Amino acid sequence: MSAVDIPVPRAARLTVGTKAALITALVGALCLALEPVAPWLGAWPKAWVLPATDWVGTVMTAFLAWFKPVARLFSAVMVYPMDAANWILNATPWPLVIGIVTALGWYLGGAAMAALGLGGLGFVLASGYWHEGMNTLALVAVSVPLALLVGGAIGILANEVPRIRAAVQAVLDIMQTVPTFAYLTPLLALFGFGPVVGLIASAIYAAPPMARNVMLGLERVEAEVKEAAIMSGGTRMQQLFQVEIPSASRQIMVGFNQCLMAALSMVIIAAVIGGFNDIGWEVLLTMRKAQFGAALLAGMVIVAFAVIIDRMSAVLATERKRHDIRVVWGLLGLALAFTLVFWTRLPAASELTLLDPVAVSLDQGLTRFTQANGAALDALKNNTLYYVLLPLRIGLDQAVLPFTWGFSWTPQMSGALFALGAVLALGMAWAGRPTAGLTALIGLGMIETGITNLPWPFVLTGAAALGYVAGGRRLALMVVILLGTILVSGLWDRALLSLYLCGASVFACAVLGGAIGVASAVWSPVWGVVRPICDMLQTIPLFVFLIPVLMVFQIGEFSAFLAICAYAIVPMIRYTRHGLVDTPDEMMEAAISSGATDWQILRDVRAPYAAPTILLGLNQTILYAFSMLVIAALIGTTGLGQSIYLALGQADVGLGISAGAAMAILALIADRLVQGFAEERRKALGL
Amino acid sequence: MKRVGLGLALAALAGGVNAAEMGASDEPIKLAINEWTGQHVTTHVAGEMLKAAGYKVEYVTAGMMNQFQALADGDIHATLEIWSSNVSDEYAKKVAEGTVTEIGDLGLNAREGIAYPAHVADLCPGLPAWEALKECAQVFATAETLPMGRLVDYPADWGTPGADRMTGLDLPIKAVPAGSEGALIAELRASTERKSPLLITFWQPHWAMSAYDVKFIDLPPGEEACFSDASWGPNPNAVNDCDFSPSRIFKASWSGFAEKWPAAHEILSNYQLSVEAQQPMMGAIDVDGGKVEEVVAAWMTENEGSWRPVVDAATK
Repeated sequence: MSAVDIPVPRAARLTVGTKAALITALVGALCLALEPVAPWLGAWPKAWVLPATDWVGTVMTAFLAWFKPVARLFSAVMVYPMDAANWILNATPWPLVIGIVTALGWYLGGAAMAALGLGGLGFVLASGYWHEGMNTLALVAVSVPLALLVGGAIGILANEVPRIRAAVQAVLDIMQTVPTFAYLTPLLALFGFGPVVGLIASAIYAAPPMARNVMLGLERVEAEVKEAAIMSGGTRMQQLFQVEIPSASRQIMVGFNQCLMAALSMVIIAAVIGGFNDIGWEVLLTMRKAQFGAALLAGMVIVAFAVIIDRMSAVLATERKRHDIRVVWGLLGLALAFTLVFWTRLPAASELTLLDPVAVSLDQGLTRFTQANGAALDALKNNTLYYVLLPLRIGLDQAVLPFTWGFSWTPQMSGALFALGAVLALGMAWAGRPTAGLTALIGLGMIETGITNLPWPFVLTGAAALGYVAGGRRLALMVVILLGTILVSGLWDRALLSLYLCGASVFACAVLGGAIGVASAVWSPVWGVVRPICDMLQTIPLFVFLIPVLMVFQIGEFSAFLAICAYAIVPMIRYTRHGLVDTPDEMMEAAISSGATDWQILRDVRAPYAAPTILLGLNQTILYAFSMLVIAALIGTTGLGQSIYLALGQADVGLGISAGAAMAILALIADRLVQGFAEERRKALGL
Repeated sequence: MKRVGLGLALAALAGGVNAAEMGASDEPIKLAINEWTGQHVTTHVAGEMLKAAGYKVEYVTAGMMNQFQALADGDIHATLEIWSSNVSDEYAKKVAEGTVTEIGDLGLNAREGIAYPAHVADLCPGLPAWEALKECAQVFATAETLPMGRLVDYPADWGTPGADRMTGLDLPIKAVPAGSEGALIAELRASTERKSPLLITFWQPHWAMSAYDVKFIDLPPGEEACFSDASWGPNPNAVNDCDFSPSRIFKASWSGFAEKWPAAHEILSNYQLSVEAQQPMMGAIDVDGGKVEEVVAAWMTENEGSWRPVVDAATK
């Protein structure tokens, strides 16, 4: 059936794609040819830059002054729940807290969940970070309800007023893509110093998943259910709160779970400001001393919280079954009795240092590793830099030098490269694949020039062409306008640097993560090993991994590249596996009964079916890579990430917001392009 | 500088004539705890002095770069170890606004410079003389900087003093910003453990100076003329061809501090801590794993003679 459907759209798309590629190639060639005569084609002239950063700064400062009293009032109010949560968590004896969490685990998920709660909190206790951990939990305990409230309200509003839905989606995108560091300075000025800033930052970041899931859940409420509510004569509010929201509760619980995880992942950001002796602060202190073992231990405390919260709230979202309440009372009673009998003889929670030897041996292990493998690791780094990263950044014509490749790049070589590209393009066009041929030519041209040296008209045309192919005229227009704002605001160079680093990382993640995803899909033991690693990579504060990466590969782009990959590869693995495993049974059966081999099934049945899901994974990978860019700036990258730090240090509101916006723009464009392609694949598959 | 001098003179005058008022001694004075151990020592010593004078003290963690907003709002009342080398622009803004007041030097003799772990002297004979770098710049070359050598500079938001020196002295060495203090330490640690070459912009007092046996390179003295007069120094065509100008470490408070807690203001203004006192305490904490509170308490009992007079002058 699909064999009949597919050729028609593909043939139509080919012409559009070919046209787009042709125009891009032409503009590129034109720019190359004219650059010696018109240097403004290569780099956007300084004189054309609008002082947009200053304007943003002025407008923001005026807004801040106006809004400040309201914000300060809010801060003053928020201090009470904050202090209360803090007091409750810290004043409760630790055996009791552990007992309560274990009992809750039993109630929700039986013995396994109870063991998880006991083990996780036991680890926190043993690490000696109990009080810091409880402070962190207090922050999460207040920010999550705030995020749930805001997210829920946004979701319901978008559901009730369909006209604003597109705008709401855009706002949610912005909330998730503008790096938190970019708006820390204005938040600090608005809300004053202290944990409230961290609270609000994490609420801003954690609200969108809730809003999205509420919207999705309400949208999916079945028409019959809605009609029944209308017929029974309830007001709109009654319909909403008594019928629609309860029937969307499963999806809303998924939002609750993701909201919790997002809030927890922001904990470290809150610590950058301080005012709160939490676990994030501990990670920052140990980071500063490059103590990998101690930093990892503190980071694992956050992972422990995240895993407990994630698993328990996931059960809450999916399963209705509850376990024996009598065991709960038994556990609570046990904890209480234990506390009463032993409390005076128990050590204070912060005195415990059971895991210090582990931290020390981790550090020594790292030392031994760098000492033993120094030469091999240096070779790996240098080769990647010389043959991959440098050409990608500054182009073959500048990266090929006698002490890197062993010879100099000459104009003749450029000519030969372009000739090769042209032959390739013509050959492929001859074979009936002109788009692929042109794309190959464009790719060769980009490697020759280097991403950071690409002429801006070429970048604009190329992005617009991609936009046109992926989503039609509107998307193309949007891409051009958004990129144009970066261009005139004078952040173009930095944006290209960020684009290069993200591009390289995303490419590596796509290849490697895709391969791991496929391996996990076809062979389940692999997934058994990969899954916990993925869990850890997603929740541990990534600052922790900067130390070993730095120790092994030193400051520079390669370290940043690795750090970004470590984080951004996770969604690629997860989505690839998920897409491949999820192939409908009837398709599999049809393939098996027609006598296909495993490999054929994978290639011809599972892979095409999984394509939209894998594209979504790629989309997430891109967004993750951009969000990691800011943290990678701590290793000393240049580009937008560093600008955001500079702005944070100098309290330059304009630069911070502009650089953050530029980053969000790049991420949004990438997101829309990939989603456009995914949508098209889905249509082609008839999904 | 003028204001500082005046402030100190006034404080001395007040101490000489009669003791200051205690002020609102039932309200806690909040002192900022920043991200590094030396600052923790400095702050805890000051806090103990205030407690000895009869005040309540609260220690509040605060990011070094972000604390000035808190100081201006009176959410934090004093911060006691600001380095002129990497103070954020925000500080100058708040001082100009009149919401933050400087309360004198800490007396900690800081030094910044181009440095290297001791083993690097074997790789580049002639160190610590800076002229040696002309010959062995190649030793420090890495993939990113080829054919030039590499200097690991301060994070970009602290300024680019290392890059300025390399340009000023016309050395074939490229400065690479580190991104964070953790990155600087990781570089030092990796270099020491792998015996690999490293040039780095660094400062003392810092625990890593002794932990990784870091040495400074001898540069021409950082005189005023070097930064304004190109003809001064070994390179006749450039400024910055010399060592760092000595950096100042000072204290600052919320502007309402003096009025609310007059005696505490006097104590903090007159408070001094030397490298000789701070460095061993830092070692006891970072290298031997002691707790700040305990290490500081031990020092306070042993050295009562050095801090008690400052407290007495303000309160008796």
